[in-house]
Amino acid sequence: MRYYRSHVMVCTSPQCVDKGARTLMKRLQEELAAQGLADEVAVLETPHIGDCANGPEIMVYPDRVHYAGLTLEDLPSLVEEYFKKGRVVTRLLSQFRPPVDKELGPPKPKEVRVVLRNCGKIDPENIEDYIAEDGYQALAKVLTEMTPEQVIEEILASGLRGRGGAGFPTGRKWQFCRAAAGSPKYVVCNADEGDPGAFMNRRVLEGDPHSVIEGMIIAAYAIGASYGYIYCRAEYPIAVRTLREAIRQAREYGFLGQNILGTDFSFDLEVRMGAGAFVCGEETALMASIEGKRGHPRTRPPFPAVSGLWGKPTNINNVESYAVVPQIILKGSAWYASMGTATSKGTKTFALAGDVNNTGLIEVPFGITMREIIYDVGGGIKGGKGFKAVQTGGPMGGCLPAAYLDVPVDYESLTSAGSIMGSGGMVVMDEETCMVDIARFFMEFIQDESCGKCIPCRVGTRHLLEILERICAGLGKPDDIEELEHLSSLIRRSSLCGLGQGAPNPVVTTLRHFRSEYEAHIYDKRCPAKVCRALIRYEIDPAFCTGCTLCARNCPVNAISGERRQPHTINQELCTRCGICKQVCKFDAVTVS
Amino acid sequence: MSEVHLTINGLQVTAQSGQTILEAARAAGIDIPTLCHHPMLSNHGACRMCLVEVKGMRTLQTACTCPVAEGMEVQTETDEINECRKFSLELLFSERNHYCMFCQVSGDCELQALAYRYGLDHWRYPRPYEKMAVDASDPYIIMEPNRCILCTRCIRACAEIVANHTLGLRERGSATMVMADLDVPLGQSSCVECGVCLQVCPTGALIDARSAYGGHAEEVTHTQTTCMQCSVGCQLDVISRSTRILRIHGVWNTEPGGGLLCVDGRFRPLYETRERIAQPLVRDHGKLVPAGWTEALAIVAKKLKSGRVLGLASGATSNEALVAFAGLMAQVGGKAGQTMPALPTLGFGQPAAVQDILATDYIIVAGANPLVYQKVVGYLIRRAADRGTPVALIDVPRGGLEASAVLSVSGQYAATVTEQAAQAQAPLIIYSVGLKPGVARALKPLAHARWLALAPGRNSLGARAAGLAPLEGHDLTSSRFDVLFFLLGEGSEEGGVMPRLDGAFKIVQTAYRSPLAEEADVVLPAPIWAERSGHVTNLEGKTLPLNPVVPMPDGVRDEAEVLDTLRTMM
Ligand SMILES: Cc1cc2nc3c(=O)[nH]c(=O)nc-3n(C[C@H](O)[C@H](O)[C@H](O)COP(=O)(O)O)c2cc1C
Ligand code: SF4
Ligand code: SF4
Ligand code: SF4
Repeated sequence: MRYYRSHVMVCTSPQCVDKGARTLMKRLQEELAAQGLADEVAVLETPHIGDCANGPEIMVYPDRVHYAGLTLEDLPSLVEEYFKKGRVVTRLLSQFRPPVDKELGPPKPKEVRVVLRNCGKIDPENIEDYIAEDGYQALAKVLTEMTPEQVIEEILASGLRGRGGAGFPTGRKWQFCRAAAGSPKYVVCNADEGDPGAFMNRRVLEGDPHSVIEGMIIAAYAIGASYGYIYCRAEYPIAVRTLREAIRQAREYGFLGQNILGTDFSFDLEVRMGAGAFVCGEETALMASIEGKRGHPRTRPPFPAVSGLWGKPTNINNVESYAVVPQIILKGSAWYASMGTATSKGTKTFALAGDVNNTGLIEVPFGITMREIIYDVGGGIKGGKGFKAVQTGGPMGGCLPAAYLDVPVDYESLTSAGSIMGSGGMVVMDEETCMVDIARFFMEFIQDESCGKCIPCRVGTRHLLEILERICAGLGKPDDIEELEHLSSLIRRSSLCGLGQGAPNPVVTTLRHFRSEYEAHIYDKRCPAKVCRALIRYEIDPAFCTGCTLCARNCPVNAISGERRQPHTINQELCTRCGICKQVCKFDAVTVS
Repeated sequence: MSEVHLTINGLQVTAQSGQTILEAARAAGIDIPTLCHHPMLSNHGACRMCLVEVKGMRTLQTACTCPVAEGMEVQTETDEINECRKFSLELLFSERNHYCMFCQVSGDCELQALAYRYGLDHWRYPRPYEKMAVDASDPYIIMEPNRCILCTRCIRACAEIVANHTLGLRERGSATMVMADLDVPLGQSSCVECGVCLQVCPTGALIDARSAYGGHAEEVTHTQTTCMQCSVGCQLDVISRSTRILRIHGVWNTEPGGGLLCVDGRFRPLYETRERIAQPLVRDHGKLVPAGWTEALAIVAKKLKSGRVLGLASGATSNEALVAFAGLMAQVGGKAGQTMPALPTLGFGQPAAVQDILATDYIIVAGANPLVYQKVVGYLIRRAADRGTPVALIDVPRGGLEASAVLSVSGQYAATVTEQAAQAQAPLIIYSVGLKPGVARALKPLAHARWLALAPGRNSLGARAAGLAPLEGHDLTSSRFDVLFFLLGEGSEEGGVMPRLDGAFKIVQTAYRSPLAEEADVVLPAPIWAERSGHVTNLEGKTLPLNPVVPMPDGVRDEAEVLDTLRTMM
C-alpha cells in the first residue's frame, strides 16, 4: 500500500457537482502532479462535507483543513502555498462549522473522554469524519488479523462490563452467545434509555453513531451473528435519523452488507423505534417489542444468549458498551484496563443532574470518588448549600448520604452501599431535599411504569406508594416503616424482572440512610426539609413584616390579612402552602416551620 | 432429547432436557402450586406461585419457565418460597373484588383454593379497588373484570388455541385489564364464541351466562360424549346436575380437536329454542294430535307395507339408528338415501387425521368453508398458519380464512397452488363438497399429499356406511313415491336434498317441531344428542361413542329401537 501524507476529500454532493466539483477534482489532481505531489497527496471523493452552499469544497486530512468556494484559478496557488509549503490559505477557508455540541462543552476537570471522544468534534452525518478518527480501523483489524475467539479474549481482558445497568462482563456474554447452538444469531443494541433525565446514550448516538455501529459489527463477527437491530426510543428522533443515515453510509462504504471488506463475513443492521415504555429497556421486553409483541418482560433463563429474538441466540448490549469496543480493539485491552478499579475498568458516562453547579453529561474513569464528581467535575452544590444525598442508578437505584462521598465509584462499592451503578443517572440533592418525598417520587414513577405482568410489582408497588403518600400527607402510622420494609423485601424477592426487583431500592436506601426523616414525618408530623406541604406552616414574623401588602395581594386563596403598614397574618385554615408569599416578600418576613 | 438428572427437595429426579422444573416435578409426583400456568398454554411466569429455589441462582425461579439442567438442586417448599407465594396471593386479594361468598365459582376457584392452602384468613393489605363495569354484551360469556387476576390464560387461549386473537391487554401497571379487540364490548368484538377462554379462566372473572350459580364441583356429574353438531366429532365433557345440563367443556388432549370446541358444540345446543316433541303425533281431521306409540306405529306400518316408499335420512342421528333405518327400508322395498350432498374423492394421496393439520408444512383448502361448517378444523388451520405453515385456498368463499392464507384462487388457477406446494414434504389437502374435478386433477402432481375430506352435515359418513347414499340428482317426485319416511333426528331440514312430494303420506322421526314436522301425517319423537347412546362416524372415519348425559323424556323412544320394532311389524 502506498503511503500518502495527505488525503484530500472533494465533496461530490449534487450541489457541489453542479458547481463544478468534478472538473475541480480533475484539475486538482493535474495540478498536484504538475507540482510533483501526486505520490504524496491522494484525492478522493466524499458524498458530503457540510458547506455545499459555498461549494465546491474540499477537506484535507489529517489536518482537517476545510476549503470552500474554490475556483479553478485558485488551484495553482493553493497547491503551491498549502500542499507544498504547508501554509494555510486563510482566504479560501470555509466559514462552515459543524453544529457545535451544545450539550457537551469542553471537558471539565477530572473528566476522561473515551466514549464521548468524538462527540461535538466530528460531523456525525459524515462517515469520513469518523474514518479520519481511526474509524472502522478496528473492524478492518478484526476481520483481517483476529479470529472471533481472539476478539472475545481481547474484550474479556479489557474488563469491559455492560453499561446498561447490571454490569455483566461483556466478553462473557459474547462467549455464551458464540457457544449457543442455533442460527441465525442476532446482535441487538439497547438504545431505549428510559431513565428520567438520562441522555448519555442519546449523545453518543447523535454525536458518534459509527462508533456504535462499528462495535456492533465487531460483536457480530465475534459471536457469528448475521443481523442486528438498534432499538432506539421514539423520543429520540434525531438519534434515529442520524443512525439511519450512518447505516446508509456504512453500507455505501462496504462496512455493512455482504462480504464486508472483501471477507466472507456478512452483516446488516436496522433501527427499530421503541414503544415508549420504560420497561421496554429491559432486554426481554425489548426483544418482545422488536418481534411486534406487547413489551412485557419474560422470565430468564433461558437467557437471550441462548434464546432471544425469535428464539434464536441473541447478544444484547447497551449503546455505551458497543461504542468503546473499537477503541479497545485498536488500543488494546491493556490500555482500557489501565483505567478504573480492580473490578470496574475504563470510564463511565453520567448524566449529572440536580443541585450541582455544572449539570450535564460527564465521563469519568471508574474509581473516582463521589466527592470529586460533585465538587470537581460538578463544581459543587448550587448556591453553596450543603450536600445531602446523591441518587445513582435511576429509578431502581438508591440514595447515598455524605458518608459515602469518599467511596470510589465502581459497580461493587455502589452495590454494597445499597445503590447500583445503573446506566449512569446521577442526581445530587442539597440539604433542602426531603428524602421521604424523593422515595415517593420514584415510587410514583415505578407505579406508572410497571408493566403489570407480575403481581408483586403491579400491586405491591401500589401499596408502597400509598404508604409513602400517606406519610408525606402527615397521616403516617407507627407501623408504616415496618410495613415499608416488609413490602420492599418481598417485592424485591418475588418480582419477575429487574424493574420490580429494583423498585424498592429508593425506599430501602432512604430508610437505611435517612430513617430519622421518616420518623419525624410519622411521629412528630414534621418534615425536616420543609418540603411536604401537609407538614409545614407558613407564618409571618411581625418583627420583620412592614405591612407592604405584597403577600396579601399575591396569595391565590386570600389567606393573608392585615392593615397596610401593620404586620400581616396567615389564616392557616385557608393556606394551601403554595409558598408564593415567601417568594414575594422582600423583607424575609415569611417563615416556614 | 437427553436425560437430565436433578434433585427436587433432595429426591433424585430424572427428566428430559428441554423440560421445565414444573414438568419434571409433576412427572415425579411432586406438587408445585400454579395459577397463571395452564398445561394447554404457553408458559407465562407471572403469578409467582411456582417460585422455587435453585441452588446457585441469584433469584427465586418460576418452575413453569425454568428449564431443567444436569445436577440442578431444587427446593420447592422453603419458608422463603412460601412467604413469597403467600405475598402474591395477599396482593391479589387486595387488588380486586375477591369476596368469594358472592362469586359463582366459589368452591371451584383456583385462586380460592390457593388462599386456603396458604392460610389467608384475613385481608393483609388495604383493598383500594375501584369497581369496573361488567361486560354482559355477549349472550354466552360475561366478563367480570373485578375478579380478574390478569393471569392472561384467556388471552393465551384465544391466541394459541383458537388463533382468534380477540383478547388482549389494555393499559399497563395497575391499570392493566383484559380487553376484546381495541377495547370494545365482547359481544361486538371479533370473538367467535368458542368459549375456550371461559374454560381456562381460573377464577370467576369469565362467567358462563347460563350455568352461573348452577352447581359446584362436588355437586355435578361429568359425562364424556361426542359432539353431534358437525362431522368433526369433538369430545365433550358435559357437566350436569341431576337432569339439568349446566355447561359443556372440551376434553383436553383428545382427538380430533384437542379439546377445542366451537360455539355450535359448546353453547348453541344449550340455548335450543325449538319446541321439543315428547310423544307421537298423528294427523286427525287435518290437525296433528297426540297419539300413543302403538297407534302411531300401526299407522306407519300399514303405510310402509302398502306404499311406494322413499326413505331419507338427515344424518343428525346415531349410526345405530341409520343402520336400522336402512334395514327397514330394504325390508319394505323402498328407496333410501341421505339428504347430504355427495363428498367427492380426490383420487390420490393418503387420508389424514384432524391433528395432522398442526403437523404439516403446506395446507391446501379446496372447495370447503371450514370456518363456517367445521369450525374447529378452521381454527386449527389458522393455528397452523400462525405457526408459519403456508395455507392456500382454492374456491373458498370469503369469510375469515383468507386472513391466514398466503394465496387464494378460484379453481381455474389451482395449478398455481400445486406449483407452490410442490416443495412441501407433507402437504395436506383439506377439501369438501365444493371440490371440482378439475381442481382435483390440477392437484394430482402432489401425489405424496395427505387429505382430509370434510364430510358435509353431521353424521353423513355414518349414513353412507349404513348404505344410505346421497340422493342428489335422483328423480324424487310424487309420480314415483307415495310414502315418505324422513329420519330427521334433531336436525333441521334446511340444507341438503328436499323432495317436494305433494300428496304423499309423510312420516317424520324427529326431536323438534319444524315446518317439515308440521306437514307430516305421523311424527315419531326422537332423542337429542345428550340423551343418546350409540356411535357416530366422524370425518376421519373414526367411530366415536355417544353416551347419555340425561334420560330421554317420557314418551320419547330411541330411533333404532322404534325402527327395529317397525321391522318386526312388517
Ligand atoms: C426496567 C429496566 C429497564 C432497563 N432499561 C435499559 C435501558 O434503557 N438501556 C439499557 O441499555 N439497558 C436497560 N436495562 C438493562 C437491560 O435489561 C440489559 O441488561 C442491558 O441492555 C444489557 O446490556 P449491557 O450488558 O451492555 O449492559 C433495563 C433493565 C430493566 C430491568
Ligand atoms: S417486575 Fe414489574 S415490570 Fe417486571 S414483569 Fe413484573 S410487573 Fe412487569
Ligand atoms: S370465546 Fe373464543 S374467540 Fe371469543 S374471546 Fe374467548 S377464546 Fe377468544
Ligand atoms: S379473565 Fe380469567 S383467564 Fe382472563 S386474565 Fe382474568 S382471571 Fe385470567
